[in-house]
Amino acid sequence: MSTTFLPCGVYHQTYAQDHAWWQTPFIKAKMLALALILFVVIPMFADMYWISVCNQIGYTILGALGVQLLIGFCGQLTLGHAAFIAVGAYTSTLLILEFPWPTFMIDWGIAYPVSILVAAVVSGLWSVLFGLPSARVKGFYLILSTMAAQFITVDFIITQYVSQIGGRGQAFSLPPGTIKMGPWVIDSDVKVYYMILFFIIVCVTVMANLLRSRVGRAWVAIRDNDISAEVMGINVLKYKLLAYFVAGFIAGIAGACWISNLAAISPEHFPWFWSLWLVGVILIGGIGSIHGAIFGALFMVLVMEILQMIVMPLSDIYPKLLMDFLFIKEATFGLAICVFLIFEPNGLAYRWWQIKNYFNLWPFSY
Amino acid sequence: MDLFLMTIATGIMVGGIYALVALGWVLIYKCSGVLNLAMGEMTLIGAYTSLSFYSMGVPFLLALAISLVIGFILGILTERIFLDKLIGEPVLTVIMVTVGLSFFFKGTIGFIWGTDTRVFNPPVFSMEPVRFGPIVVGSVYLWSFIAAMILLVIFVCFFKYTRWGLAMQATADDEMAALSIGVSARFVYAAAWSIAFMASGVGGTLLGNINGLNISVGYLGLLVLPAVVLGGLNSVPGAIVGGITIGILQNLCGTYLDRYFPGGVKEIAPFVFMTIFLLFKPHGLWGWERIERV
Repeated sequence: MSTTFLPCGVYHQTYAQDHAWWQTPFIKAKMLALALILFVVIPMFADMYWISVCNQIGYTILGALGVQLLIGFCGQLTLGHAAFIAVGAYTSTLLILEFPWPTFMIDWGIAYPVSILVAAVVSGLWSVLFGLPSARVKGFYLILSTMAAQFITVDFIITQYVSQIGGRGQAFSLPPGTIKMGPWVIDSDVKVYYMILFFIIVCVTVMANLLRSRVGRAWVAIRDNDISAEVMGINVLKYKLLAYFVAGFIAGIAGACWISNLAAISPEHFPWFWSLWLVGVILIGGIGSIHGAIFGALFMVLVMEILQMIVMPLSDIYPKLLMDFLFIKEATFGLAICVFLIFEPNGLAYRWWQIKNYFNLWPFSY
Repeated sequence: MDLFLMTIATGIMVGGIYALVALGWVLIYKCSGVLNLAMGEMTLIGAYTSLSFYSMGVPFLLALAISLVIGFILGILTERIFLDKLIGEPVLTVIMVTVGLSFFFKGTIGFIWGTDTRVFNPPVFSMEPVRFGPIVVGSVYLWSFIAAMILLVIFVCFFKYTRWGLAMQATADDEMAALSIGVSARFVYAAAWSIAFMASGVGGTLLGNINGLNISVGYLGLLVLPAVVLGGLNSVPGAIVGGITIGILQNLCGTYLDRYFPGGVKEIAPFVFMTIFLLFKPHGLWGWERIERV
């Protein structure tokens, strides 16, 4: 997907201008309006239910960003991303619960931010470990090895061993008040919303900047053709592993953020389904753009909520519908992926790009 | 020693079923180049269909035959509706469509048949174990293995001697050449999908006879992947050897390693092997190593 066309009369004189993020006053105003909506309008006017839907969307965006980086920008297919999110979530939880924090750190609320950072790094390293097969295999074989990552990490290591730490049994519950960001105790959905929003902005900024740097260009070269990339002098393995690290890092942040929204975490929160879901999200949103991850997350979560709204009234007549809602959700998800891949393989981001161009070039769109 | 022999025997028997399902997988890959992740759900569909008919009082073999017919129809429909439009698309697209299909099937199965475990009632095979000298094997396992082997022979003969089988092999070898001598590629793809549906249906039915049937039997579809990786993605004998090897390895790990790593070693072992195998011999025992040209 090439860049968006600019309106008539806007042209660049330097390379820096060409790569600037917000190139016209209109775009700046648009982004400001978006920030206003995200930071002020939604928390003020949305009720509890919609805030929690927003949190769900935010979590999906954070998870999908890493997948987008791996699949969309580096061409490394992955079907085990939930494993890295799980590693992040568990590292953060264990640090909060088990690590002997000095009292002043807990009082100042440094424990949780530090644990997020540590979780992100651990998750990134774990991701690099399972990215090692990418040195030798690609395509379908890589899918298999990332799948193995999912089963080994979540179904075996976390379920059998990590869950036993501290003798809590299956689920780790986080006592209220332990999750503290500086002076704020993260105890309501609105606070979780702000926190996730903050991390999304940080992650998107970092990722977008990486993508327009040397690293990002190397990734895209590897995606387009890894052999040519190697011939051009790119250290393919190094950049592949770097992609795995960054993707795992973002996944770790996603997992560590999400624990603030959960009363207790258990391996069931990170099933293989969730890995596939994230891949589905970027397929529907569009592969190879950050917009794709965001649109895909919005679309999938909202469609599922709408589906629930349709099913709820019907369940009075036919109660089986509500009981088996999970299955309806799965079937819809599967069908949505199939339909998008067959009829709109470029995803929602491509439509968005077309719409933008249409208005930018209007009325002379040739 | 007896324990060892028995573990191996059980492994071979279970491996026979894996081999059967793996065969269906390899078939699809060989003919159309589709890497199918919906195998587990295809297994479930066949198994649930035959179980439903069996519970209605239809004799077992007839129920199996009906499920085969339904599998055949579903295979053609799946290919026509979803996969036909994707010939020539990138590999991720096709894989993700099969993932989508697997969710679609799973959701539908769950909605129709629910989550409870169902058993074949009355049991199809007798509960009496069969003895070979020191080795004791459940008769269900033995019959499953025999059935799997018979089907394998049928498949191999089908590919070697019948017109359709030869057409499918030709398409797998070189689609363009096959088209130019008058083989209908679309027909071959549809046939591959319906045969895969039928093979996995039989596998599922046999497996359902062992421990009953619930939605987690679809996990079998994932166990097929280590088997095909071991044997090589496009090799029919590879699928059989891979399936049986995975069965044996899995049972050996279950017997001997469970002491040291309590919990789900048996479920995880095939994937660990697969990862190690991928690192050292990614193209499997008999798979074709594709030479890449830029």
